[in-house]
Amino acid sequence: MKLSQIVKKCQLEKIVFSVDEEISSGYSGDLMSDVMANARANSIWITIQAHKNSIAVALIKDIKAILFTNNVSIGQEVVEKAKEEDIILLRTKKDSFTVSGEIYSMMEDKTAKD
Amino acid sequence: MKNSVSREKLTLVNELIYEIKINDAMTKKVVFFTKDATFRQIQLKLKEKKISGVPIIDHQKNILGIVSIDDVISAFDKGYVDEKVKNYMTTNVITVPKNFSIISAIHKLEKYKIGRLPVIESLNNKKLKGIITISDILNRLLIVTQSIAEKIEDKEIKNFQRSKKLIDATAQKIFKFDVRGDDFNNAGQAASITKKYFKGLGIEKDIIRRIAIICYEAEMNICLHSLGGTILVRIDQQNNAIICASDKGPGIPDVDLALTPGYTTASEKIRALGFGAGMGLPNIKNFADKLVITSSLKTGTELKAIVNLGVKK
Repeated sequence: MKLSQIVKKCQLEKIVFSVDEEISSGYSGDLMSDVMANARANSIWITIQAHKNSIAVALIKDIKAILFTNNVSIGQEVVEKAKEEDIILLRTKKDSFTVSGEIYSMMEDKTAKD
Repeated sequence: MKNSVSREKLTLVNELIYEIKINDAMTKKVVFFTKDATFRQIQLKLKEKKISGVPIIDHQKNILGIVSIDDVISAFDKGYVDEKVKNYMTTNVITVPKNFSIISAIHKLEKYKIGRLPVIESLNNKKLKGIITISDILNRLLIVTQSIAEKIEDKEIKNFQRSKKLIDATAQKIFKFDVRGDDFNNAGQAASITKKYFKGLGIEKDIIRRIAIICYEAEMNICLHSLGGTILVRIDQQNNAIICASDKGPGIPDVDLALTPGYTTASEKIRALGFGAGMGLPNIKNFADKLVITSSLKTGTELKAIVNLGVKK
């Protein structure tokens, strides 16, 4: 599924959005080691951890986009790092549970249609 | 095909006859006639093209019937060889849709004891698309098995080249990263660079990911829990990636306890950033093929993780 579809449907704020990537799965979590162990490649990661290490984790796991929830503030150095590494950053006022549910059902619908 | 012994051995062919579509095996250039052709015209064509039958179609290319060499012989015999075929041809034509697997063509050829099958667009659309014979099928099977064999050969060559590259790399490169204690912002560098390096060597994605995770967790451990240290990454003669992390202390009092998932000594501050969940060492253990940790409260901790690169020597 294209990221732009998710951005539009869930009304997400684009912080860094260079390429409209194809997303195949998602992972929700705020513990780095948990995401490290369990997130899949080409995914969207839903979290409240908005610091430079989140970018490092995304990079290592081939996560395409990070979606920050609860409208957390994002430091300029995080934005710069994301631009440098081509990681897409998104933000929403919604909490992780709500937005994960929304994205999950979009992906389920998509799979059902395919 | 009737021999059960040889059939058992041909498992690949047995799979392929279900996979290959008739469309990919059939002859697309078909000799055909309309119903106004005479048997004599057809007989000349059969002789010229050395074929044994032709489909008869209407102006929309829908199949109406078929005329075989037997029909031509009958026409000679009974004296209507100069008449139009429309009153005499076989109209009950056995056909097969082009998107079916070749197994259905084989079944029909065997069942009706015929040499060729006209291929149509679909079950509901009788438009003639081609013709298929047993030799078309054998031909296609040979081509497909050959390309499979070539792919296997290719892969072996690639594997060989890759391992040569690795051995060369072994001689040259040892990565060394200094990791400072408490320096969150730069942590993750060793893992990133290591990942890029192995990617360049053409190592399998999953293996790279495991190496990167190990590097990352080792790096974070030095950063979060120690006074600083180093990470060394190299490839040994057996084509294993060796990740060595050592720090200057303070050392782990009980290594087994530290390897227990969920056990942590991290501060509130560290945990608020999403670290210190007691999963770092267990992650390393899970993703490494081999892990050795030695720790002393005097000299610090040394961790050595080995990941097989999955490349033949």
